[in-house]
Amino acid sequence: MNERQIHKFVQRYLETTACQIIEKSPAHFQVKLSPRADRDLTNRPYYWSFVDRTGADPETMTMLFVTDKQKYDQTQAAEETKPAGGPVSAADAALGRSFGYINGTALNTNIRVPREDLYFGSRRLNQLFESARSGGNYLCLFQEPDKRSAHPLHSTAYSAWLGVNLKVEFACDMKREEIHSFGVSLATGQCVEQFHNRLLQHRMTPKLPPNVHTAKNALTLNKAAAIAEQTLERKLRTYDYSWAQAAAERLNEELATIGHYYEPLLESADDENKPLIAEQFERRQEEIRWQYEPRVTASAINCGIFYLQGIG
Amino acid sequence: MQVRKRCIPTGQRKGFLTAMQSNYESAKEEHLASPAPSPGANAKRKLHPSVDLQFDRTWLHQLQDRVDRNGPWDDWTMYQLAIEAEQSKLVESFDDLQCLRSLPSFEPMPHQISTARRVLHEMSGRAILADEVGLGKTIEAGLVLKEYMVRGLVKRALILVPASLVLQWVRELNGKFGISAVAQKKEHSWACDVVVASMDTAKRDPHREKLLNQDYDMLIIDEAHKLKNKKTTNYQFVNQLRKKYCLLLTATPVQNDLDELYNLITLLKPGQLGGQSEFAANFVVDKRLPKNEDQLQEALSSVMIRNRRGDGGIQFTKRIVKNIPLSLSAEEQALYEAVTKFVRDRVDESQGDWSSLLSLVTLQREVCSSRDAVFLTLVNMFKKTTEDSPLRPKIWELVEVIRGITANTKAEKTMELVRGMNDKVIIFTEYRATQEYLLQYFRNHNMVAVPYRGGMNRGKKDWMMDLFRGRAQVLIATEAGGEGINLQFCHHMINFDLPWNPMRVEQRIGRVHRLGQTNDVHIYNLCTVGTIEEHIVNLLHEKINLFELVIGELDHILERFETKNESLEQRLARMMLESGGNQEQLRMQIDDLGNSLSRIRDEVELEEPLDMSAINSVMNAVGQTIEVRP
Repeated sequence: MNERQIHKFVQRYLETTACQIIEKSPAHFQVKLSPRADRDLTNRPYYWSFVDRTGADPETMTMLFVTDKQKYDQTQAAEETKPAGGPVSAADAALGRSFGYINGTALNTNIRVPREDLYFGSRRLNQLFESARSGGNYLCLFQEPDKRSAHPLHSTAYSAWLGVNLKVEFACDMKREEIHSFGVSLATGQCVEQFHNRLLQHRMTPKLPPNVHTAKNALTLNKAAAIAEQTLERKLRTYDYSWAQAAAERLNEELATIGHYYEPLLESADDENKPLIAEQFERRQEEIRWQYEPRVTASAINCGIFYLQGIG
Repeated sequence: MQVRKRCIPTGQRKGFLTAMQSNYESAKEEHLASPAPSPGANAKRKLHPSVDLQFDRTWLHQLQDRVDRNGPWDDWTMYQLAIEAEQSKLVESFDDLQCLRSLPSFEPMPHQISTARRVLHEMSGRAILADEVGLGKTIEAGLVLKEYMVRGLVKRALILVPASLVLQWVRELNGKFGISAVAQKKEHSWACDVVVASMDTAKRDPHREKLLNQDYDMLIIDEAHKLKNKKTTNYQFVNQLRKKYCLLLTATPVQNDLDELYNLITLLKPGQLGGQSEFAANFVVDKRLPKNEDQLQEALSSVMIRNRRGDGGIQFTKRIVKNIPLSLSAEEQALYEAVTKFVRDRVDESQGDWSSLLSLVTLQREVCSSRDAVFLTLVNMFKKTTEDSPLRPKIWELVEVIRGITANTKAEKTMELVRGMNDKVIIFTEYRATQEYLLQYFRNHNMVAVPYRGGMNRGKKDWMMDLFRGRAQVLIATEAGGEGINLQFCHHMINFDLPWNPMRVEQRIGRVHRLGQTNDVHIYNLCTVGTIEEHIVNLLHEKINLFELVIGELDHILERFETKNESLEQRLARMMLESGGNQEQLRMQIDDLGNSLSRIRDEVELEEPLDMSAINSVMNAVGQTIEVRP
């Protein structure tokens, strides 16, 4: 994600969590968080459990999110030099602070607003990611009709789809990932890839639109999920697994190496030490399997039931 | 709304479903797996002879649950954001360095990146990082850790380091890598994902038990040469820890003996060099003489990386040391004698049990620094005595002597020096009270001086540095340890008084005389004649030749000295007390001590380059030479 993408992401996050944006520029947001965002972002579990138990009115935090540090610092610096007398004053201010003076012009007398630089990989942005993930797990949405239906008595047929975004992890001692988005029609069992992109082409709403009827489901969710899994599995079968082969070979080599070390040790050990060495040997083997064993796992990022126009 | 469960009548759909069904059948035949998700949360199928595919199905149960209860449903925008977040974090290939794009605040050096790559791709995350001092082993370890974390292969990591480096590690990991590492302070700190702790704490109960019951995705050990001996508790403890990836950091994988290298590697990967006897037969001629170098080197290169400084890169400037002998004023001399007598009387009273009196020697050292320092110690001592203690009047007598002192000889000399050099200068003292006194003294003489001490928080330290870099000519410091005070822009330092621990003197010098220093460094040692200080300066300067040692050499000297004896500081204090005021005896004893130290120094200087060359040439082949430009 570059600065612009992050900025856009943050803006959408703040809007959808109903945070109150006090001030913004292309490089920053100053924002009073909504209770929901505050819970997820400010690391104040004790405060929130206090609010929950006592029913007190929550006081949410105000924060400064900087999405483009360079640009923001430049504009800040430009603004600061205007009223003040150049770089000398910074040193004076620093010295002044040592004697306890507060430099009135440079510091805002209002409460301090904590600043967070949101760059890719920063902890706070990861928190935003986490928050989005936990707040966007399970959906039930309807496609909004393209245009008002001409006839008030005419009814459009909708059918339900199971949509699921799966993250596939290919891991051994290294790892890579893929995201697959599947949609399975609950009416027909048809399975579509890139389903998420398809959803993005429509306007979606949580409310059932007027003049719409839904087709009956022919499949259970279980079956639909199985179809998605099957499709994924068939696809994965066509992949190259030389990496897994290599990892398995490494695993065997490593097992042989420690076997070569521990087996003679076990043989020559006396009865007292034997169990200790055997246990250690066992543990080393476990560690090596843990480290190298090739595996592919698929888990859902999020999923939902989507009612789309037509019989899919 | 309910999702209704029904069968479908139309033939076409049936056809599709039977097609699907037959897919299931074939799946069944091949893998004996049930076609529809089983009630369990997970399902495993063979995807390839060497790999299973595992489906996590918790999502399906959750979704079904919500369908049954008709909600609650989440927000559509959040759903989209969640996908976007995952897409941006997606690790698309096995072998690029993902972490580099999430380190905005610094740029690792090329050799650090290539080292991290080798650890990740060629060593599968178990390696000894044996770069020479100053090439950034911490950075390399941080890169590897961060990469595994970004890829989701490491969540829990344990980092064991010497106590003095804990905070430095925490700061580096947080500041440079954005890893939320926590210094272990309380029992519950162990529950954090990334914990930095001192080895000495970790290996003790009750911590030990706790750690042995954990699975750590990654274990990092700094100063790993402390694991060179199989029999130590350190070694056994680390051996018992359960870990997936493991990094051992040391600049000196071999200090004396090839066995050390064997032990270190066996800890990391048992069997890499074979069993103990195999190793001895295959690779060892003598303690420090390897054989079959090519094979040894090959075996090493798959577990160890050692980058070395190029000869051209690092050039330290000269150290110019000047001892400045001073005579105490009559009043100060009177105090010194009074205090010496006071100490001697205590020793006489104690009838040979001096262990509790070692700290009294501090009083004599403090007289050589400032009256304020003595005064503070006396006041504290006074507070500790009972009201009817016979000690109280004696302490008061000393305080009376202090009253007689109006000037500080050393401070006057210092002022003269500082005025004379007319350049930035750092003054080190051992005592807080002396620091306060000097600050005031300089202020009264219209000279800007700023303080620096260990108790200051990070922000204040940084700010003092800024002031010193900017307008203050003088920095007065009580602490030299810990990084963060890098004073390359200053090349004068005054030792107002000297610590008795040579390492601390070395640390002081290291603040100024380091990479990036472009001037020769002037070191002034203030030394009051006829006091204990004279002996110490003599010992450190003449006997150990501390001020001109090669970096790292002092470590070796002290290590050898202290394995046989108590620490140098304790030894000196004991001699002071034992001499009972007999100057001649004291001088002889300190001379003896000095001679044995200079013998050790000669030994170290002589043997080092000769004996290790064979080992070094093998080890040095597993890395590259880095030219570090200051």
